[in-house]
Amino acid sequence: MQLVQLARRNITGNAFRSWVVALCACLVAGLALGTTLILRGADSSLRLANQRLGADIVVVPEGAVEKVEGALLMGHTTRVWMASQNLDKVVGVPGVQAASPQIYLSTLLNASCCSVPNMFLVAYDPATDFTLEPWLKNTIGQGLKLGEVVGGAFVFTPEGEQNIQIYGYLVTLKANLEPTGTGIDQSMFMTLETARDIARVSVTMAVAPLEIPDDGISAVMVQLDPGADPQATAVEIMHRVPGVTPIVSSNLFQAYRKQLGSLRAGIGATLGLTLGLSVLLIGLVFSMAANERRRELGVLRAMGASRAFVFRTLLVEAGMLALAGAFTGITLTILVVYLFRTLIVVTLGLPFLMPALSTLAAEVLAGLGVALVVITLAALFPAVRISRLDPAVAMRE
Amino acid sequence: MIAFDNVAKIYPVTKDMRVTAVHGVNLEISAGEFVVVTGRSGSGKTTLLNLAAGLTQPTSGRVLLDGQDLWQMSDRQRSVLRAQKVGFVFQFPSLLPSLTVLENVTLPAIFQPNGARADAGQHARELLEQVGLAPKAGVYPRQLSAGQQQRVVIARALFNQPQVLLADEPTSDLDEQTEHEIMELFAQIHAQTRLTVVLVTHTTQLVSYGTRAVRMAEGQILTAADT
Repeated sequence: MQLVQLARRNITGNAFRSWVVALCACLVAGLALGTTLILRGADSSLRLANQRLGADIVVVPEGAVEKVEGALLMGHTTRVWMASQNLDKVVGVPGVQAASPQIYLSTLLNASCCSVPNMFLVAYDPATDFTLEPWLKNTIGQGLKLGEVVGGAFVFTPEGEQNIQIYGYLVTLKANLEPTGTGIDQSMFMTLETARDIARVSVTMAVAPLEIPDDGISAVMVQLDPGADPQATAVEIMHRVPGVTPIVSSNLFQAYRKQLGSLRAGIGATLGLTLGLSVLLIGLVFSMAANERRRELGVLRAMGASRAFVFRTLLVEAGMLALAGAFTGITLTILVVYLFRTLIVVTLGLPFLMPALSTLAAEVLAGLGVALVVITLAALFPAVRISRLDPAVAMRE
Repeated sequence: MIAFDNVAKIYPVTKDMRVTAVHGVNLEISAGEFVVVTGRSGSGKTTLLNLAAGLTQPTSGRVLLDGQDLWQMSDRQRSVLRAQKVGFVFQFPSLLPSLTVLENVTLPAIFQPNGARADAGQHARELLEQVGLAPKAGVYPRQLSAGQQQRVVIARALFNQPQVLLADEPTSDLDEQTEHEIMELFAQIHAQTRLTVVLVTHTTQLVSYGTRAVRMAEGQILTAADT
């Protein structure tokens, strides 16, 4: 018989205590991992969305900031317009290296002429675009032609068909972007030429036509000269181009960042409280258990167990319970977060991206570590107290 | 084998109250003796036994086991000495309920500094045979009677082949017949192995099983005589 075997037998020999401690570990590890997954998932989604946008400044019509952010981040369809002459004015602002227009559209809701309902569509100008074109050239070797589209990570051609139907117009899905956990994953990208062709065909082929104002654009993506100050350039755009709002990339999705900040504070407080209460509860359970086992531990001391052995036995028991409970909690958390990730996005109103396997593995280890530390801390005081007890006193009732 | 040199043990009860369990104890127990210590409840018998095993520190005086002052050692050294040289039989049920009888008997192997002996299982079975419980090796303590449990405890105390066997009221919870059987077992073990036995009891009739009787009262040794 070895120490670990003895600890295991003690664990199975006292089912109630073991369940309480393992449950606490399950809760602590599950909560720690769950909150980390959600917060980091939302955080990395916001970061990726910014990167994917690839612009230093996004110029949108005045009063349309929230709509555009909601479209880009959450996939909420929107149709906002400003005069296309604004593009020329933005290009003329000092510090602007490149500017490219985008038009935001959406497919129809539950109409047979659209095989994808209520989807956010982005039309761009391949001649000036610097956000999607470089990626396309790297991925498929060329830009998009008429009738071709690029989809977000979760855009697919309907099963058994070659094309996707939009307003009765058939488009070919050429490639999919990497997942971002944002609305981009459910969006479709095409050239302005394709968008206008869809609008032309939709007049006769769709339930309702796709309307694109002749001189209307939805946003202007701006790339700055190296060394140009984004804030100063944004202020300059506001002065020179009336009726628009320039959003500096680092300020994009500010409402979501604030929401994430409040969520982080709330979750942090809950997590802290849970950890504190768990330490107290587990400490209490271990204290009671150690008191119940005073005589048994005194017997072990009489047989030749040193103080260190008794101390180690109690900590090994705590550690084994912590790991077993934490492992269960972590497995359940990953399963729940994975299965209900869509519900999480809807409930929290934030984008969410499951982390890469390596990140997940690191977070799992961190969760196990948190549970191990919490339970070891809780068991430490009773273990020290009982191991220092005079064996003769320990054996006396 | 065991020597008490002017030993006293005072327990603090409250901040201002102390209880003197033993005082002025001078006693030498030679190797191979079977000493039966008698006395009324509270006379200091159990404290004497705990002092002999180094389970409690004397308030004053010295306790020597096999020539070594127990309280000049570290806790680890004292624990190793106990694991190698002392077997303990308790008054109360002391088997670990989550272990089988066989596992309880082999339990002291954990505390051996050089690890468990290779034939631990076989050795434990032989000891169970010796106490008449070989067929019960695989059962749990709760499935045994009080007398059977005490036999298992004796087998466990003998597992590391100790030089000293200390028994604290080992028959106090048993009926007369079982008490007789357990005492016979002690006598038989002593006769076969010649190990030093110190047995504490409040039943004066049991002194006949030993080679020497020691009588205690109010924490002091009143008489020590051969039986």
